[in-house]
Amino acid sequence: MSARHDPQRRRDRPAERDEERRAFREEAESLVRITAAPTIWSGHFLLCYCAVAIACAKAGAVPGWLTGGLLAASVAALAAIGWVGWRAFRQWNVTDTGDFSNPEGEAEDRHEFLGHAAFLLAIISFIGVVYVTMPLLLVEGCR
Amino acid sequence: MRLTGAATAAAAAALSLAGCAGRQSALSPGGADAAALGTLFWVMLGGAVLLWLAMNGMFFYVTRVNASAMPRRLANGMVIGGGIVLPTILLGALLGWGLSILPDQRQPDDGLTIRVHGEQWWWRVEYWPEGAAAPVVSANEIRLPVGERVGFRLDSDQVIHSFWIPSLGGKMDMFPGRETYVSLEAEAPGVYRGQCAEFCGESHAWMAFEAVAMPPDAFDAWLDAEAGAAAAPEGGAAERGAALFAREGCGACHAIRGTGHVGQVGPDLTHVGGRRSIGAGRLAATPEAFAAWITHTDSLKPGVRMPSYDHLSDADAAALAAYLAGLT
Repeated sequence: MSARHDPQRRRDRPAERDEERRAFREEAESLVRITAAPTIWSGHFLLCYCAVAIACAKAGAVPGWLTGGLLAASVAALAAIGWVGWRAFRQWNVTDTGDFSNPEGEAEDRHEFLGHAAFLLAIISFIGVVYVTMPLLLVEGCR
Repeated sequence: MRLTGAATAAAAAALSLAGCAGRQSALSPGGADAAALGTLFWVMLGGAVLLWLAMNGMFFYVTRVNASAMPRRLANGMVIGGGIVLPTILLGALLGWGLSILPDQRQPDDGLTIRVHGEQWWWRVEYWPEGAAAPVVSANEIRLPVGERVGFRLDSDQVIHSFWIPSLGGKMDMFPGRETYVSLEAEAPGVYRGQCAEFCGESHAWMAFEAVAMPPDAFDAWLDAEAGAAAAPEGGAAERGAALFAREGCGACHAIRGTGHVGQVGPDLTHVGGRRSIGAGRLAATPEAFAAWITHTDSLKPGVRMPSYDHLSDADAAALAAYLAGLT
């Protein structure tokens, strides 16, 4: 990782750039990774709202086991987003490089930038899941 | 110039604050539910102002007061603390509090239920006292006893409407084929104004009603009277009006209990003269307004199903108006 802090050397040595490209080649596929946390959030949102809507329409009330199941799903979603966020934080690698914005456009920069973006998306997804869960705890019944 | 600007701003502020008072304002509550919503509004506004001041205060600080480079740790603290932690906690607390008082607006009623059916653009109203086998049918006006929680069972004819008496509580949508429920408890006797709060067609803005909160004894007496048949008004003009009502075929659409008129297309007119408004909040219930309504429905309420009876002579319209205004 220290090579990136000496851009002069990196530009002068095309062989090293090729090596970097190979090292971060998986980036082409890993764009998907930054959508993981928002996908979990939206899945959780749909699960909660659809399940409660169906229960209210068919039974007129939300059974306790459904509330419990959705709360368990919330915990699972938060854990999954937490894991995605932690992975993304490691990928951003800000504690090692001290580089917040990764402006250089090299493969490693792109790699770390995607980690940064995924990390921020994980934070907002985490908050989103918490806010979606709150009505489960605070609003009883279907009215 | 500056002084003039300040004076204009002050006048504008005073005017807009004056708009917060009145009988159709969520900010001048006449009941427990509206009071809760009013408090909710002010606390939400306080939270928003706090957040705005904190965020913009920080922007101001870093761009104007201390624009030099600052330690990374402090900068991170401001971005993470002010941008993520503070809003999340503040919004979470406001959301939690808002959700916790939401069920209060759906509490069961104390016995009286009022069924309101939204039409384009008026309100079919049925009073169902506790244990009643048949409702007391009325229209375009809601009366309710003070100090009792009254349940409203709401639905609609063709399009979505929304039932809202801002001074008494929150709004609730009315759907065709699906019943919704809201309960209201008036605390101060008074006349409030309700308004359809969901766009429902060209005369949506004219779809309103008067909501009268009465002392319980007065309400019971009123409901007894409302349940009865119409007393035929006396007097030459009113009696001629009754004959005109039959001749013009008004009873094909309007019911007047105690007569042969049983139409169900338009509002029940059994005690229409005792209401505070006609045309669903459109005009005050005076004889002149009845005459104007009968002869100019389409200009007073564009799109309304009732045709204008503009072929009536002034004398006939006045006679019909005298009859209707006498149906108290």
